[in-house]
Amino acid sequence: MSLIPFRTKRSTGMEPSSLATMSDFRNEMNRLLESFVSRPLMGQSWFESGEPGQWIPAIDLSESGGEIHVRAELPGIDPKDVDVSVSEDRLVISGEKKSSTEKTADGWTHRESHYGSFSRAIPLPEAVDPAKVTARYDKGVLTVVMKKSPTSTSRKVPVLT
Amino acid sequence: MVTPTEPASPTATSTRTEPSPAQPQSSPAAPCLTYQPNVDICDYGTEVLLVTDMPGAKADGMNVSFEDGVLSLFAKVPPRTLPGRQLGHEYGIGDYRRSFRLGEGFDASQISAEYRRGVLTIHVPRLAAVRPRKIEVRPA
Repeated sequence: MSLIPFRTKRSTGMEPSSLATMSDFRNEMNRLLESFVSRPLMGQSWFESGEPGQWIPAIDLSESGGEIHVRAELPGIDPKDVDVSVSEDRLVISGEKKSSTEKTADGWTHRESHYGSFSRAIPLPEAVDPAKVTARYDKGVLTVVMKKSPTSTSRKVPVLT
Repeated sequence: MVTPTEPASPTATSTRTEPSPAQPQSSPAAPCLTYQPNVDICDYGTEVLLVTDMPGAKADGMNVSFEDGVLSLFAKVPPRTLPGRQLGHEYGIGDYRRSFRLGEGFDASQISAEYRRGVLTIHVPRLAAVRPRKIEVRPA
């Protein structure tokens, strides 16, 4: 039995290092494509990411009646390590994903998942009532439901001369 | 040695947790999209741990099997479309599938798995005969 992982000549040719590189390259291209595709939304990228180098959880956003729904994939995270804060027009999801495995002195680790802190600020399409927000974490998925603010109705603004 | 078995098509390697377009793979049981989840593999000597991100999956819809030296993972993911008008969509919904070729020296009969917080953790213990051990040197 070989103790050297993924280095045999019988390998498919895609070793972990190249897999990780290809994965990073693909994800980066997808991210660029995503930002390009999402640009029509209010003339800018709809979602804002955190600091460079941070991993960015994938998010879905929808609007239904008097509610706004946001769903984020956050697998392997203790709900106590997730912080959800809401202002009238912005939802911020931040936290930290801690690794459950540690590299051993004589073992090896092949890592594809993302760990560390993350932060996502999501501009909301309408103002919400910060007091009427629920967040639920189940099976690695965070779902946030926000009630729209009744005072968020648009009004005509006079143009002064 | 635990080696991920790659799909035949090099393009069918999309991850689940990144905003990537879905890459369908053949799935006779489910005609929906199938994703290849991210996995961490860690060797602890007595066992190898596979930690796989599978957010949204249900434990009772998972199938972990071992056959012909290949450990296969499959997780059924129920649909979860957000209600109303979609304003942003970064990840697709589909089942998870991935397989790994195990080398010799593992005790397949003792493989165990647990699912918690969207993460499937699989313990693959080594046979006692091949586990690393320290040999005591006694003075003669």
